[in-house]
Amino acid sequence: MLEDELNVGIRQREGVAIIDLMGDVTTFAEEKINSAYREVTEGGARYVLLNFRQNDYINSAGIAILIGIVTEVNRNNQKLAVSGLSQHFQKIFRMVGLAQYAEIYQDEDEALQGFKSATTA
Amino acid sequence: MKTTYYSASMELSIPSELGYEVIARDAVAAFALRMGFTHERVEDLKTALSEACINAIEHGNMLAPNLRVNVACMCDNDRLLVEIHDQGLKHHTPAQMPLSMADKLAGLGSMRGMGLLLIGQLMDEAGFDPNSQDGNRFHLTLYRQHTVEHVPSQRTE
Amino acid sequence: MSNNKSETKPLEKIIELRLPSRLGYERVAMDTASSLARRMGFQGDRVDALKTAVSEAVTNAIEHGNQHDAAMKVVVLLTVRDDELIVSVADQGRQLLDQNNVTRTPHIEDILDKSDKGGWGIWLIRELVDEVEFTTAPTGGNQVRMVIHLER
Repeated sequence: MLEDELNVGIRQREGVAIIDLMGDVTTFAEEKINSAYREVTEGGARYVLLNFRQNDYINSAGIAILIGIVTEVNRNNQKLAVSGLSQHFQKIFRMVGLAQYAEIYQDEDEALQGFKSATTA
Repeated sequence: MKTTYYSASMELSIPSELGYEVIARDAVAAFALRMGFTHERVEDLKTALSEACINAIEHGNMLAPNLRVNVACMCDNDRLLVEIHDQGLKHHTPAQMPLSMADKLAGLGSMRGMGLLLIGQLMDEAGFDPNSQDGNRFHLTLYRQHTVEHVPSQRTE
Repeated sequence: MSNNKSETKPLEKIIELRLPSRLGYERVAMDTASSLARRMGFQGDRVDALKTAVSEAVTNAIEHGNQHDAAMKVVVLLTVRDDELIVSVADQGRQLLDQNNVTRTPHIEDILDKSDKGGWGIWLIRELVDEVEFTTAPTGGNQVRMVIHLER
């Protein structure tokens, strides 16, 4: 297959559902990301972390998919965060306004810490 | 289970100036990765492509900076074919008695042609098109699977 | 570059890339552009920004301009000058760009309610490069001309 294979993994750590995204996030990623999100949500996840890899890229179609996730997260009363993004894509997230809806962390450990300290609601 | 690959082609044209082979190398590498070749094979291709472009720039175009080197990639279910085409101020003349790597290392002959030897070792097939009328055309072939045992001492012309 | 006594080098060098109109091949344009930008001395974040801008421009050319017709080509011209890099992306224009889309700024708050979450590509290009121009290519399709300036 010639489309970039995005591999999506699901893990649980300290009460957080982590969705690992390994590969480029483009239009071809839609089904995989959405079904991973659906799976963790059906499992009752309240905290969701999207964990990216530094060297992968996200194009505007990928951003649209992530905005779709944000819409669902808001509807389902969950908390969303992202980790592992390169400096460049952290900047893109902020430019696009995603930072308002998902906390941006450098890495997974920092994200889990962040979720813990934010557990006041 | 055999995967069916699309056939696709891509063309690239660079100035005939040393340094620009790096750009061609990265473009062709991205194309080969997209076409499903392994990272290891793509590394081989990058080296072979660089050498071929350097030959085209230095020997084919004789370092004339206003000339071009064209690289065309064609890929299908069986193979990736890359053609490096210069404007051939100097037509490649095959050596009368091509030397092996062992000969070169022993100090016989000049260091020119080292690139061709390297290419021959890295690629499944490589060589000049003897019928080219408009400059030198050098091709590299990468098969999708190694059905033919790769013979390291294969010479290229 | 300017003090070469023996040769008169041209003021600019051009690299031309012709890609099939299939999604995924924008990666080739991205890697070509970033390889060139790095060679010219651009720093990491500017190279990343250019990569993303090129990705968007080529993706648009594939999806909209050439309507995913693999037989049609996207032509990327990279022009190296002393103090800037110009990247132009041209398609064969099955669907010409609506100029209204060029100046629109999407807002995430508005988009959350809509079913189409997209439309970020052109805006991203405008935000990431120093100069951008959306015009018609000499061959009749859409052309995006992006410029990044080299700061010394």
